[in-house]
Amino acid sequence: MSYLEIKNLRKKYSKDGPLIIDNLNLSVEKGEFIVFLGPSGCGKTTTIRMIAGLEDVNDGEILIEGVNIIDKKPKDRGVSMIFQSYAIWPHMTVFENIAYPLKLQKVSKAEINKRVKAVAEATDISNLLKKYPAQMSGGQRQRVAVSRAIVVEPKIFLMDEPLSNLDAKLRVSMRTELKNIHNKQNSTSIFVTHDQSEAMSMADRIVVMYKGKIEQIGSPMEVYEDSATKFVAEFIGTPPTNFFKTRIEKIDGVLMAVNSSFKYKIPNSLVKALEKYVGKEVDMGVRPEFIDISPEMEKTEGYICDTNISFVEPQGSHSILITRIGEVEIKIHTVKYMYMKPNTNVALNVKSEKVMFFDCDSTKRIKADNL
Amino acid sequence: MDKLNVIQKTVMTIVLATLVLIVVLPLMFFTTVSFSNAAEMSQFPKSMLPNFNVTVKVVPTEEGEFEVFYDSGEGYTSIITSKRASKLETHFTRQYAVTVPGEQLIEDFSQTLVKGPMEFTYKKDAFYNFKQFFSIVPNASTALKNSIIVSLMTILISLSIGSLAGYAMARYNFKLKRQINVSLLIVRMFPMVGISIPMAILLIRFGLFDTLIGLAFLYSIPNIALTSWITSSIFIGINKELEEASMVFGANNFQTFMRITLPLAFPALAASSMYSFLTAWNDTISALILTNENQTLALVVYKAIGTTSSGIQYAAAGSIVLILPALVFTFIIRKYIGQMWGGVEL
Amino acid sequence: MNSKDNIQSTNDSSEAAHKKAIISKKIIPYLLLLPVFFYYAVFWLFPVLSGMKEVFTDINGEFTLFSNFKLMLESDLFGEAVFNTATFAAVSVVLQYFLALMLAVLLSMKFRGSKLLMFVSMIPMAITPTAVAIIWKTGLVRDGWINSFLMQLSIIDKPIVFMNSEGLAAVFLIILIDTWTVTPSVMIILIAGLQGVQKELKEAAYLFGANKWRIFKDIIIPILKPSITTSIIMRLIAAIQVWAIAVMVLGYSKVPFLVERIAFYADVVPGVDTSSKIAFTLSFTTTLIVLAATVFYLMASKKRTFSGGEK
Repeated sequence: MSYLEIKNLRKKYSKDGPLIIDNLNLSVEKGEFIVFLGPSGCGKTTTIRMIAGLEDVNDGEILIEGVNIIDKKPKDRGVSMIFQSYAIWPHMTVFENIAYPLKLQKVSKAEINKRVKAVAEATDISNLLKKYPAQMSGGQRQRVAVSRAIVVEPKIFLMDEPLSNLDAKLRVSMRTELKNIHNKQNSTSIFVTHDQSEAMSMADRIVVMYKGKIEQIGSPMEVYEDSATKFVAEFIGTPPTNFFKTRIEKIDGVLMAVNSSFKYKIPNSLVKALEKYVGKEVDMGVRPEFIDISPEMEKTEGYICDTNISFVEPQGSHSILITRIGEVEIKIHTVKYMYMKPNTNVALNVKSEKVMFFDCDSTKRIKADNL
Repeated sequence: MDKLNVIQKTVMTIVLATLVLIVVLPLMFFTTVSFSNAAEMSQFPKSMLPNFNVTVKVVPTEEGEFEVFYDSGEGYTSIITSKRASKLETHFTRQYAVTVPGEQLIEDFSQTLVKGPMEFTYKKDAFYNFKQFFSIVPNASTALKNSIIVSLMTILISLSIGSLAGYAMARYNFKLKRQINVSLLIVRMFPMVGISIPMAILLIRFGLFDTLIGLAFLYSIPNIALTSWITSSIFIGINKELEEASMVFGANNFQTFMRITLPLAFPALAASSMYSFLTAWNDTISALILTNENQTLALVVYKAIGTTSSGIQYAAAGSIVLILPALVFTFIIRKYIGQMWGGVEL
Repeated sequence: MNSKDNIQSTNDSSEAAHKKAIISKKIIPYLLLLPVFFYYAVFWLFPVLSGMKEVFTDINGEFTLFSNFKLMLESDLFGEAVFNTATFAAVSVVLQYFLALMLAVLLSMKFRGSKLLMFVSMIPMAITPTAVAIIWKTGLVRDGWINSFLMQLSIIDKPIVFMNSEGLAAVFLIILIDTWTVTPSVMIILIAGLQGVQKELKEAAYLFGANKWRIFKDIIIPILKPSITTSIIMRLIAAIQVWAIAVMVLGYSKVPFLVERIAFYADVVPGVDTSSKIAFTLSFTTTLIVLAATVFYLMASKKRTFSGGEK
């Protein structure tokens, strides 16, 4: 039995409205750091609010340590939360803010004092306890929100885009700090974000959500390298995966992905799986990192076509090259040719083992059968 | 969050229903009063809703006169006995607000000579009280005109002077800014009465006593400060870059103000005009002190309450005239008031 | 003209313009404020000063410090007026705030018809004081609509005589009428405040175990406190200046208030020298009281920014 288990969760805001959450299933182990990742409106915040008890559940179960909590009030669920705006009460000092949840639990004064001080120590805000929120910086308020959330010693620690109001530099350092606190407290955390780099750097497992459904659950590397759906491939990675609409055809007994600009020979590992698609359209996807170019016009096994590099966007450590194949704009990540001049002709090859194909109807990845 | 339980819902419904009753009942009865005739005014208990018909019972007497009975709620009582058309007409007009020519009444009543006692129902002249108000209260129609003129002048003065100041306070930093802001506040808080009496002396000296512009000058005093306050908070909110963009494209300061800033500040200007309007429209005490002949409508109505103790329905009709523009004005720009108070949806 | 010259000349003129701009930029705010200064010097400062002159000169135009105040203190009903004004201000503000807060909490819950209700409850706000007076006068007279209504519902069997109310009863009558008129505007301000309290602040309290009442008491009210304080003082300032309803409903001298006394001496007994002295002194005194309240208000609003309760 998992620590937190979500079964067949459904949510509608109005009776005839659309399903915001559509049959969501998830189990989380104790001590895990789970990140809900997805574009705005995908239902990630609604889900976390349902776990917190701030939102009604229409259908399904949420179990913490095997007990269904959907009819319980938030305070009886053993959860706590950091809100996007931090929701630090402006009329209370930092001490009062952190102490208030304990006061509500009728903890004794001495105990409150002790616990607030301990938490403030851990989050490095001991010197701020007498200050009001208006007198503090964004990062300091963030720490207060964290302190308030951990002082109640929750079973599950929920975070709703807690870093989105910070400036870019602080955001990165707070990531590490939050992860540190998570490890120190040995808590189980669910973190909501739309920022994929945040998700990649913090998560034990990422839950990618889209339109109220889970697209994929997996470790950061899994969702990146082994994207389960077209959406995941597109959403994760910067720049996003390049896609071509192709048709699977058998030419002279060789399985090819064909479109008006190129013919690409399907790698052996995928032949068996794609044979079923002969005559059908599929989406072919390849990440910018997995495209090789050759100004010497060398063609490898993953040869696509020749093309002309129209723009070069230096990024410092690497460059992004931009070209067009047919109607599609293609981005290429390159270190080797990062000083390339625009308007250069190159041969474009892909790393065949990294090429992904997606079913056009289900958007699901077409995987090699033996895998 | 927690949902309300049944008891809480019931309590809430009761409280809100009471609220509606407390707001609506006085207004309803009051409207009834302003449409009531003299006979209805002397009734007790009074009816709750306005009645637009009058029913009388007519009995012919042996002398060939008509005895008119009126039912004031407790059975018919004899009111008048006459056969003179003019006497009956006057009675019907004054008592029932029924403006039917006397000859017509006599003609109707003549039927009773043949058929015996009969009941007759006449339509009331619905606006009788309003007509009466404007005919028996001296200067009432002039006062209405005066009120409109004074209000418009007050809006004009407050807006032109106040918005300039508001713009200065919002856009520039200068010495004494804070002190000026506080002084404006003190001017605004200053009781109107406190200034009205000495103002009379000043206006007499300027030859502006008992003039409309003199009144408008007084009403503008709190409203210039208020306007500059309201507009400065809005001007601060208007992105300065918008103005600068317009200057980049060659507009001068004045054009920028007219074309960009002013339209964006419209809600603030509308709200402050409303306050100016209401000050001028609603005031009685200053008008009492500063005018003799050129009275405003509020003052005239106020005086009508004092003098026509018998015909309070006329004063009531007059105050309906007084309420309507203020009511309409308030509700037209209620959206802007809501905005000013932090975005309440009204 | 070739292009080089063109550039040169624009440079020159822009420099000159820049210089001019620096000078005029300092003057602009004062220019914009000039009309206000002028207006207030003529129409405000002058009357205020001449009013003060009247307060500190006797009938013969001789300087005097106290004799007019003595006249005022000895004038009819002055003591009652002070007492009534104080009672009115204290009771009406408390009552109106209590009612307005209750209604604001109810109306700011989103339910079907809440907007319509808000609209209805705003009507009294828009009604001219003179009209308010007539509405209630027609109700309060012996055969008025209040007695009619109560009798038709059989709540009473004999009409109540309101208009003869005296002393405190009359003050409370005026308080009730004022409450009917003013509560909606207070309510609107409070609704704005309630809507301004960020949803997440309440949710956070709920999440950590606060019930509705605790959220209200521990979170909402303290957050609203600064704006409530300032608006209470504003109400207080308006309440000190009550008079119109009292005079129009009950008549002069029935329920004396400070400003009612001013109007009385200015309106009813003009021409008599002492009466104008009393009127001037009364208005001077009332103004001082209002200004004291204003200073109080300024201090309160200053404190508000200091404590950092607001964003």
